[in-house]
Amino acid sequence: MTTGARHPGWRRLAPAVLAVMMPAALVAWNAPDGLPGWRQVGIASAWAGLGLLLASLLLMLREPRLASWLGGLEAMYRWHHRSGTLGYALTLLHPLALAADAWQEVPSRAHLALAPWSQSWPTQLGWVALLLLMAGLGATFAHGIGYRRWRTLHAALGAAVIAAAVHVFVLLGDTAAAWAALGLAVAAVGWRLLVVDRGLLAPTYRVERVEHVAQGVIEALLRPLGPALRPAAGQFVLARFLDGERYRACGEFHPFTASAVGHDGTLQVTVKALGACSWRIQEIAAGVLVRLQGPFGDFLADADAAPQLWVAGGIGVTPFVAALRERPCPKPTTLIYVYRGDVDAAFLDELRATPAADPNFRLVAAATGSAPPDLDALLDQVEGLAGRRVQVCGPAGLAAALLPLLRARGVPPGWVRHESFDFR
Amino acid sequence: MMRRLFIAATAAFWLAVAALWFSAPSRPDESAAPVPAAAEPRYTLADLAKHAGAESCWMAIDGRVYDFTAYLPKHPADDAFMLAWCGKEASEAYRTKTRGRAHSKRADELMPPYRIGVLAGGG
Repeated sequence: MTTGARHPGWRRLAPAVLAVMMPAALVAWNAPDGLPGWRQVGIASAWAGLGLLLASLLLMLREPRLASWLGGLEAMYRWHHRSGTLGYALTLLHPLALAADAWQEVPSRAHLALAPWSQSWPTQLGWVALLLLMAGLGATFAHGIGYRRWRTLHAALGAAVIAAAVHVFVLLGDTAAAWAALGLAVAAVGWRLLVVDRGLLAPTYRVERVEHVAQGVIEALLRPLGPALRPAAGQFVLARFLDGERYRACGEFHPFTASAVGHDGTLQVTVKALGACSWRIQEIAAGVLVRLQGPFGDFLADADAAPQLWVAGGIGVTPFVAALRERPCPKPTTLIYVYRGDVDAAFLDELRATPAADPNFRLVAAATGSAPPDLDALLDQVEGLAGRRVQVCGPAGLAAALLPLLRARGVPPGWVRHESFDFR
Repeated sequence: MMRRLFIAATAAFWLAVAALWFSAPSRPDESAAPVPAAAEPRYTLADLAKHAGAESCWMAIDGRVYDFTAYLPKHPADDAFMLAWCGKEASEAYRTKTRGRAHSKRADELMPPYRIGVLAGGG
């Protein structure tokens, strides 16, 4: 079971080690000796690229135990992106290096190395893999693309890696390395599609109660039908709501922060209507079943270490509410809560009442309307800022605006943590 | 950072592909033109059989004899696939890769530089 403890540093390096070892092992296993330079580069870049792409596939397997071994979901996804992009770049080098080799041999025929229509189908499959990688990564890095479209195009990357592994398998024949690459690619994509995305191993809960806590924000109380998850304050779960009597689910897992954890295994999650699926979830009612994966994350894991400054933007207040509901603050803690208006501000009444019961806690609440918050003025209200650990939960723009202001007030960058719960 | 790498790598790739294509010859490559059979050395199957290893690998394909010794390390598949046909008439193996799949047009284009003669009595 994952707890809220911060993952040790060496474990957070585990995804990086995987991203280095996979290509290194495949190159050492397969790189031939004694070939001309460019041909050697072409073959080595193909194996290194495939190794990185396979590492990227392994790092997308969203299993709590695996995430714990590999330093947390955040570290896994960071290296999933890095290894995927580096693998793509090396894969592009593969046909170019083979063309360079052909150029050295017979310059007038070098262009044929880059002419898929004149090649056999196993080689053409390699080109299909390359173009799928290009399309999938293009969508990944595109700004402003909708979640559904992004998800479909991103899935093309899994198909691309399988196509690349089949390309290698057919060209090289029944070698152990080709079998290993193909087996790993198919197993990782299959596990993700059939087990992770369908939630086959995820515990099932029943929605017991739904409250509207702000405009476009609900808080749902979930009761386990079997084994229960035990998230700590600051952790999140991935939830996939199932069809109910009058509720048609969108069938996707989305991350939601736990806002309270009961001793009886019950769990409360807060859902803000941000996209098509979370809009639909606003309509859930008691009785709907939901599968949960997790818990993930280590946000607030070091909240006992020193006096705290918490900064929440909008629904980013949820992990802080969970921490306050769990127990009184062990250290002096100030929460700066910025939101558009009172009608949008979830848990505002509860937070305003908290200092009466918890003398270590202080609230600085600010309705900003459509204007950006005056963070300078808000930080002026925090006593002893330079000695506080800062935890920020909200949009990336909020953290980006805060960092230079905090640094100017003597807070070291290493004392600032940001959680955006963005898992694209 | 990764976004910039993706854009730079993709742009560099297509630029390289375009450069190679624009540099391609517009008329047929003379080095690939067939040499009149009468002017070429003729080898028998017995001659071929003397070159049946990695140190000297000759094959007959469709009546032509090739010395693939220099090409052996460049073949994409394991050495054993090609080595098995050194010193032999390998037309069927070339056409089917022993699994019913033909070699590509590009593979055909790569062969002329390795041609050393014709098979005596072959066609």
